[in-house]
Amino acid sequence: MNKRKVISSMFYGVVLLIGMSPFLWAAETPGTLVMETIDRGLTVLKDPSLKGAEKAQERRQRLWKEISPIFDFEEMSKRALGQHWKKRSPEEKKEFVELFTNILKDAYIGKTDTYSGEKIVFIKDKQDGKDYASVQTKIITNTGAVVLVEYRMLSNAGKWQIYDVIIEGVSLVNNYRSQFNNILMKSSYNELVQKIKEKNGKEAT
Amino acid sequence: MLFFGLAAFFSGKELSAENLPFAASEELADEKLSESGISDKDIAVSDDEEEPDETGRTGTEAEMPLVKDTLQPFNRAMFTFNDKAFRYFFKPIYTGYNSMIPVQARVSVRNFYTNIRMPVRFFNCLFQSNFKGAGTEMLRFVINSTVGVAGFLDPAKSKFHLERQERDFGQTLGKYKMESGTYIVWPFIGPSNTRDTIGLVGDTVLDPITWVSYFFLKPIESIGNYTYESVNDLSVDTGDTYESVTKPAIDPYIALQDAYLQNRMKRIKE
Repeated sequence: MNKRKVISSMFYGVVLLIGMSPFLWAAETPGTLVMETIDRGLTVLKDPSLKGAEKAQERRQRLWKEISPIFDFEEMSKRALGQHWKKRSPEEKKEFVELFTNILKDAYIGKTDTYSGEKIVFIKDKQDGKDYASVQTKIITNTGAVVLVEYRMLSNAGKWQIYDVIIEGVSLVNNYRSQFNNILMKSSYNELVQKIKEKNGKEAT
Repeated sequence: MLFFGLAAFFSGKELSAENLPFAASEELADEKLSESGISDKDIAVSDDEEEPDETGRTGTEAEMPLVKDTLQPFNRAMFTFNDKAFRYFFKPIYTGYNSMIPVQARVSVRNFYTNIRMPVRFFNCLFQSNFKGAGTEMLRFVINSTVGVAGFLDPAKSKFHLERQERDFGQTLGKYKMESGTYIVWPFIGPSNTRDTIGLVGDTVLDPITWVSYFFLKPIESIGNYTYESVNDLSVDTGDTYESVTKPAIDPYIALQDAYLQNRMKRIKE
């Protein structure tokens, strides 16, 4: 009797595990991760208690808290500096990651202030090998226009993070890399940092 | 003329594969994800300081061909001019216009112009031997001109799922293996290149609005018409697009150039 119980409970346990595994696995895919993060972001944007211009600061902070963990800012900085990354000292790298993160934060969190019910739809995700994936989504604006947005992700020890965002074929990281390279060809790294700092200063005010 | 080639930007002046400086197009296809592999590779390539517009792009070779920008001083001046025209002339106008006219009405105005310009897309489909696309455009025109109330509505898309075919003459020229040439910024029109400029002339010839302006309108009226269309487009979305590219940029000129080129490349893949 007792033995039977053990066996049957083991059996059910296994059945349950097998039954659950797709869900467990699904929760881990880059696609669901991105969509969940976006949903959390939208929840903040739609929150009635956070609406309005006077709540902008608070709303931005909440949003940043929800979505920033999914980005790998170091990887983004590294790719945006490209060949110049290697020549930087660890301190310079650290400072650069911070500055670049700020640029991205100001630029893109600020844009959400004008959010007015745009829909974000998942199209598909694709995994390439063990460590790379891309998630394709589209934004449907109020005018009915469709904007394709693709997230490139990589797995950091099992944790999927975004290292590039591609909007209508325009890679964010490549766009900054073009700018940084262009500046670095004519001037020194310090001048580049100076320019980024100025930009950050301007945005802050 | 559309204002700020930005319109071109999203509404799709396509650039074709063949004329890219190098293998970009073929690579792009299978590149897609494997590009991710560049993480270390691209940094490894480093250490070679080359020429301005030709370098820098190490690591992105597959995605970004060499940027030919021999006219940079002129282009930068034009960019500054356009940016000022946008900021101090067009933006105040379309902001006011926005607040008075509901978005649906503005979209309808855009639909109207888009419908009239059907021949541009239709003929370019034909030139590119895209007969299915040409048929789609013809059908869209018939449906939208009638059921769509002279083109103000777009039932062809909403009810019949017939998508607009974004085909232009610059793209057609590209299909016939014409080189893209150097990057050029035109006043009011915005980013372009040698081939797309010729393409723009071709499209202008195919554009019924050009003919209407030529035969029936006084110059001041056509200018008014083009300005109105630009303002309307800017108010719908091109204004936002322009700002979201240039505002967060450290060097807005390069940011716009790069966005233009990357966007074109995506259109090739399609």
